[in-house]
Amino acid sequence: MQIFNDYKARADFLTVYVREAHPTDEWQMKSNVKDEVCYAQPRNLSDRLAIANDFTKRFKYPVPFGVDDMNNAASKAYAAWPERLYVIDEAGKIAYRGGMGPFNYNPAEVRAWLAARYGEVKHPEEKPADGDPQKAPETQVAKPESKS
Amino acid sequence: MKKIFMWIGISLGGLLLAAFIALSVMAGGPKDALYMVRYALPHMHRGNLKVGDAAPDAKLIALNGLDTFHVRERGSGKPLVLVFGSFT
Repeated sequence: MQIFNDYKARADFLTVYVREAHPTDEWQMKSNVKDEVCYAQPRNLSDRLAIANDFTKRFKYPVPFGVDDMNNAASKAYAAWPERLYVIDEAGKIAYRGGMGPFNYNPAEVRAWLAARYGEVKHPEEKPADGDPQKAPETQVAKPESKS
Repeated sequence: MKKIFMWIGISLGGLLLAAFIALSVMAGGPKDALYMVRYALPHMHRGNLKVGDAAPDAKLIALNGLDTFHVRERGSGKPLVLVFGSFT
């Protein structure tokens, strides 16, 4: 998560682990079989926690983590399934609402929001970002306040 | 009258077939299209949240399975980036 590494001093990050998107007993993707990501849809919290822990350990995932309850309350509140990005501002208001994943899930838009607020963080090996955040019809970005 | 109903039926059938073909292309195959309709669409919602709305709160469970916290507790005077997703 390069965005996390680049902006963790300026913004808080929280990963919310939700209902599985492609479990083995539902719509399993061939790519998951190839990557050995094969889990059935959890039927209880301990199963969901086990998969979440597997994920964080496998990728040494550094981002703060929380798991949605089995009623999927967070996922429903944010219409977040299967994946989605949000930025909440300091006043607790939604400042950015990403499109519904997978097709409109665009971390570059979050980076653009953070860059507009705190400046771009460039890396020597980075290629110019493709895509124009303005083209995504579902995404809405609040203009951050200019800071001197 | 029967002819009208027949043509309506044929048109609807054609539309359904076209929709299924489009879904198959999007999902990666006819089987994936069926699974998408059965397993994914019931859980996918656009939602009503807009930029400027108050962010909903939700209770989350820590990875240790013992501690809980609320999304709002994670705001520390900085913007909060929420990343929703799963392993699969």
